[in-house]
Amino acid sequence: MTEQEIQQEVTAIVAEVTEMDKEEIWEKRDANFFKELEVDSLLALEILAMIEKKFKIQIPEERLVDITCLNATIDLTKSILAENGRL
Amino acid sequence: MDESRGAMSFEEVRATLPQKYPFIFIDRVLELEAGKRILCLKNVTGNEAFFSGHFPDFAVMPGALILEALAQATILLFKRSSVAPADPDTLFLFGGVKGRMLKPVFPGDQLRLEVTVNKLISTGALTTGVVTVDGEAVVKAELSFGLAKRDSLRK
Repeated sequence: MTEQEIQQEVTAIVAEVTEMDKEEIWEKRDANFFKELEVDSLLALEILAMIEKKFKIQIPEERLVDITCLNATIDLTKSILAENGRL
Repeated sequence: MDESRGAMSFEEVRATLPQKYPFIFIDRVLELEAGKRILCLKNVTGNEAFFSGHFPDFAVMPGALILEALAQATILLFKRSSVAPADPDTLFLFGGVKGRMLKPVFPGDQLRLEVTVNKLISTGALTTGVVTVDGEAVVKAELSFGLAKRDSLRK
Protein backbone atom coordinates (compact mmCIF):
# COMPACT_ATOMS: atom_id res chain seq x y z
CA MET A 1 0.00 0.00 0.00
CA THR A 2 1.38 3.40 -0.99
CA GLU A 3 1.37 6.53 1.15
CA GLN A 4 -1.11 8.06 -1.29
CA GLU A 5 -3.53 5.15 -0.87
CA ILE A 6 -3.28 5.43 2.93
CA GLN A 7 -4.00 9.15 2.68
CA GLN A 8 -7.05 8.52 0.49
CA GLU A 9 -8.46 5.74 2.68
CA VAL A 10 -8.03 7.67 5.93
CA THR A 11 -9.54 10.79 4.34
CA ALA A 12 -12.57 8.74 3.24
CA ILE A 13 -13.01 7.36 6.79
CA VAL A 14 -12.75 10.79 8.43
CA ALA A 15 -15.12 12.25 5.81
CA GLU A 16 -17.70 9.57 6.63
CA VAL A 17 -17.48 10.05 10.42
CA THR A 18 -17.51 13.86 10.25
CA GLU A 19 -20.23 13.82 7.55
CA MET A 20 -18.16 16.07 5.29
CA ASP A 21 -17.17 15.76 1.63
CA LYS A 22 -13.73 14.28 1.07
CA GLU A 23 -12.64 17.49 -0.65
CA GLU A 24 -13.88 19.60 2.25
CA ILE A 25 -12.18 17.59 5.01
CA TRP A 26 -8.98 17.47 2.93
CA GLU A 27 -8.97 21.27 2.77
CA LYS A 28 -9.36 21.27 6.54
CA ARG A 29 -6.77 18.56 7.12
CA ASP A 30 -5.00 20.61 9.81
CA ALA A 31 -8.19 21.79 11.52
CA ASN A 32 -8.50 20.50 15.09
CA PHE A 33 -11.22 17.85 15.26
CA PHE A 34 -12.40 18.80 18.74
CA LYS A 35 -12.14 22.58 18.61
CA GLU A 36 -13.09 23.21 15.00
CA LEU A 37 -14.97 20.23 13.58
CA GLU A 38 -17.30 19.20 16.43
CA VAL A 39 -15.73 15.75 16.72
CA ASP A 40 -16.02 14.30 20.24
CA SER A 41 -14.02 11.52 21.88
CA LEU A 42 -16.51 8.84 20.76
CA LEU A 43 -16.29 9.94 17.11
CA ALA A 44 -12.50 9.81 17.47
CA LEU A 45 -12.89 6.26 18.76
CA GLU A 46 -15.06 5.46 15.72
CA ILE A 47 -12.33 6.80 13.43
CA LEU A 48 -9.77 4.65 15.24
CA ALA A 49 -11.96 1.52 14.98
CA MET A 50 -12.64 2.08 11.26
CA ILE A 51 -8.92 2.52 10.55
CA GLU A 52 -8.18 -0.70 12.46
CA LYS A 53 -10.75 -2.57 10.38
CA LYS A 54 -9.75 -1.05 7.04
CA PHE A 55 -6.02 -1.63 7.45
CA LYS A 56 -6.30 -4.77 9.63
CA ILE A 57 -4.12 -3.27 12.35
CA GLN A 58 -4.36 -2.80 16.11
CA ILE A 59 -3.98 0.73 17.42
CA PRO A 60 -3.17 0.84 21.16
CA GLU A 61 -5.62 2.80 23.31
CA GLU A 62 -2.94 5.30 24.34
CA ARG A 63 -2.54 6.37 20.69
CA LEU A 64 -6.17 7.60 20.57
CA VAL A 65 -4.92 11.02 21.70
CA ASP A 66 -2.95 11.29 18.44
CA ILE A 67 -6.23 11.56 16.51
CA THR A 68 -6.43 15.35 16.58
CA CYS A 69 -6.85 16.31 12.92
CA LEU A 70 -6.92 14.54 9.56
CA ASN A 71 -3.20 15.03 8.95
CA ALA A 72 -2.30 13.67 12.39
CA THR A 73 -4.61 10.69 11.80
CA ILE A 74 -2.90 9.91 8.49
CA ASP A 75 0.49 10.14 10.22
CA LEU A 76 -0.70 7.83 13.01
CA THR A 77 -1.90 5.26 10.49
CA LYS A 78 1.38 5.40 8.57
CA SER A 79 3.40 5.03 11.74
CA ILE A 80 1.41 1.99 12.94
CA LEU A 81 1.72 0.39 9.48
CA ALA A 82 5.47 1.13 9.54
CA GLU A 83 5.77 -0.43 13.02
CA ASN A 84 4.15 -3.54 11.57
CA GLY A 85 6.58 -3.58 8.66
CA ARG A 86 3.86 -2.80 6.14
CA LEU A 87 5.08 0.58 4.91
CA MET B 1 -29.59 -20.86 33.24
CA ASP B 2 -26.82 -20.90 35.81
CA GLU B 3 -25.03 -23.47 33.70
CA SER B 4 -24.54 -21.00 30.86
CA ARG B 5 -21.31 -19.06 30.93
CA GLY B 6 -21.82 -15.59 32.36
CA ALA B 7 -25.57 -15.95 32.96
CA MET B 8 -27.07 -13.45 35.41
CA SER B 9 -30.35 -13.54 37.33
CA PHE B 10 -32.61 -10.50 37.59
CA GLU B 11 -31.25 -9.84 41.09
CA GLU B 12 -27.71 -9.69 39.71
CA VAL B 13 -28.84 -7.49 36.81
CA ARG B 14 -30.56 -5.12 39.25
CA ALA B 15 -27.51 -4.98 41.50
CA THR B 16 -25.19 -4.30 38.55
CA LEU B 17 -27.12 -1.70 36.54
CA PRO B 18 -27.16 1.94 37.67
CA GLN B 19 -30.75 2.14 36.39
CA LYS B 20 -33.47 1.14 38.85
CA TYR B 21 -37.25 0.53 38.84
CA PRO B 22 -39.15 1.42 36.68
CA PHE B 23 -36.29 1.79 34.25
CA ILE B 24 -34.68 -1.65 34.06
CA PHE B 25 -35.24 -3.19 30.62
CA ILE B 26 -33.30 -6.44 31.07
CA ASP B 27 -34.88 -9.43 32.86
CA ARG B 28 -32.01 -11.88 32.63
CA VAL B 29 -28.62 -12.46 31.01
CA LEU B 30 -28.42 -15.76 29.14
CA GLU B 31 -24.84 -15.63 27.92
CA LEU B 32 -21.92 -13.28 28.47
CA GLU B 33 -18.43 -13.48 27.04
CA ALA B 34 -16.34 -10.78 28.72
CA GLY B 35 -15.15 -8.15 26.26
CA LYS B 36 -17.00 -9.79 23.36
CA ARG B 37 -20.76 -10.30 23.53
CA ILE B 38 -23.84 -10.55 25.70
CA LEU B 39 -27.26 -12.11 25.13
CA CYS B 40 -30.14 -10.87 27.30
CA LEU B 41 -33.85 -11.49 27.69
CA LYS B 42 -36.64 -8.99 28.19
CA ASN B 43 -40.22 -10.15 28.48
CA VAL B 44 -42.64 -7.44 27.47
CA THR B 45 -45.92 -7.47 29.38
CA GLY B 46 -49.05 -5.45 28.82
CA ASN B 47 -48.68 -4.27 32.41
CA GLU B 48 -45.57 -2.14 31.61
CA ALA B 49 -46.06 1.42 32.86
CA PHE B 50 -45.10 2.93 29.49
CA PHE B 51 -47.97 1.22 27.69
CA SER B 52 -50.46 3.45 29.50
CA GLY B 53 -49.13 6.36 27.46
CA HIS B 54 -47.70 4.65 24.35
CA PHE B 55 -50.44 4.47 23.26
CA PRO B 56 -53.70 4.52 25.26
CA ASP B 57 -55.56 2.69 22.49
CA PHE B 58 -52.65 0.77 20.93
CA ALA B 59 -49.90 -0.77 23.06
CA VAL B 60 -46.58 -0.72 21.17
CA MET B 61 -43.17 -0.58 22.88
CA PRO B 62 -41.31 2.68 22.15
CA GLY B 63 -38.29 2.02 19.94
CA ALA B 64 -36.28 4.39 22.13
CA LEU B 65 -36.81 2.04 25.07
CA ILE B 66 -35.60 -0.93 23.01
CA LEU B 67 -32.45 1.09 22.31
CA GLU B 68 -32.25 1.78 26.06
CA ALA B 69 -32.46 -1.99 26.65
CA LEU B 70 -29.50 -2.43 24.27
CA ALA B 71 -27.65 0.30 26.18
CA GLN B 72 -28.32 -1.52 29.47
CA ALA B 73 -27.10 -4.79 27.95
CA THR B 74 -23.92 -2.97 26.93
CA ILE B 75 -23.44 -1.60 30.47
CA LEU B 76 -23.74 -5.14 31.89
CA LEU B 77 -21.20 -6.39 29.36
CA PHE B 78 -18.88 -3.47 30.08
CA LYS B 79 -19.08 -3.98 33.85
CA ARG B 80 -18.31 -7.69 33.53
CA SER B 81 -15.40 -7.09 31.16
CA SER B 82 -12.93 -5.72 33.72
CA VAL B 83 -12.29 -2.51 31.84
CA ALA B 84 -14.63 -0.15 33.66
CA PRO B 85 -13.62 1.47 36.94
CA ALA B 86 -15.86 0.55 39.86
CA ASP B 87 -16.06 4.22 40.85
CA PRO B 88 -19.74 5.11 41.48
CA ASP B 89 -19.11 8.67 40.25
CA THR B 90 -18.33 7.36 36.77
CA LEU B 91 -21.37 7.33 34.53
CA PHE B 92 -22.04 5.58 31.26
CA LEU B 93 -23.08 7.93 28.49
CA PHE B 94 -25.04 6.64 25.53
CA GLY B 95 -23.20 8.79 22.98
CA GLY B 96 -24.45 7.76 19.60
CA VAL B 97 -26.76 5.40 17.77
CA LYS B 98 -27.39 4.50 14.17
CA GLY B 99 -30.35 2.18 14.17
CA ARG B 100 -33.40 0.79 12.42
CA MET B 101 -36.71 -0.18 14.00
CA LEU B 102 -37.72 -3.06 11.74
CA LYS B 103 -40.91 -4.36 13.37
CA PRO B 104 -43.18 -3.17 16.19
CA VAL B 105 -42.96 -4.85 19.61
CA PHE B 106 -46.22 -5.70 21.40
CA PRO B 107 -47.22 -7.01 24.84
CA GLY B 108 -46.38 -10.72 25.06
CA ASP B 109 -43.26 -10.46 22.91
CA GLN B 110 -39.98 -11.82 24.26
CA LEU B 111 -37.00 -9.70 23.26
CA ARG B 112 -33.65 -11.42 22.78
CA LEU B 113 -31.06 -8.67 22.89
CA GLU B 114 -27.61 -9.50 21.59
CA VAL B 115 -24.77 -6.99 21.79
CA THR B 116 -21.38 -7.63 20.23
CA VAL B 117 -18.33 -5.47 20.83
CA ASN B 118 -16.63 -3.80 17.88
CA LYS B 119 -14.19 -1.82 20.01
CA LEU B 120 -13.72 -1.65 23.76
CA ILE B 121 -11.32 0.68 25.57
CA SER B 122 -11.15 1.86 29.18
CA THR B 123 -13.15 5.01 28.41
CA GLY B 124 -15.63 3.87 25.80
CA ALA B 125 -17.13 1.20 23.58
CA LEU B 126 -18.54 0.74 20.09
CA THR B 127 -21.07 -2.07 19.81
CA THR B 128 -23.58 -3.65 17.45
CA GLY B 129 -26.99 -4.61 18.83
CA VAL B 130 -29.56 -6.93 17.32
CA VAL B 131 -32.95 -7.51 18.95
CA THR B 132 -35.10 -10.43 17.85
CA VAL B 133 -38.62 -11.66 18.63
CA ASP B 134 -39.36 -15.27 17.62
CA GLY B 135 -36.16 -15.34 15.59
CA GLU B 136 -36.99 -12.23 13.57
CA ALA B 137 -34.99 -9.01 13.92
CA VAL B 138 -37.05 -6.10 15.29
CA VAL B 139 -34.20 -3.62 15.90
CA LYS B 140 -30.66 -3.38 14.57
CA ALA B 141 -28.31 -0.66 15.77
CA GLU B 142 -24.73 0.52 16.02
CA LEU B 143 -24.15 2.11 19.43
CA SER B 144 -21.37 4.14 21.02
CA PHE B 145 -20.74 4.69 24.73
CA GLY B 146 -18.40 6.81 26.77
CA LEU B 147 -17.52 7.07 30.43
CA ALA B 148 -17.54 10.36 32.25
CA LYS B 149 -17.29 11.64 35.80
CA ARG B 150 -20.59 12.83 37.18
CA ASP B 151 -19.15 16.26 38.08
CA SER B 152 -17.83 16.85 34.57
CA LEU B 153 -21.41 16.75 33.24
CA ARG B 154 -22.91 19.35 35.55
CA LYS B 155 -23.36 22.84 34.15
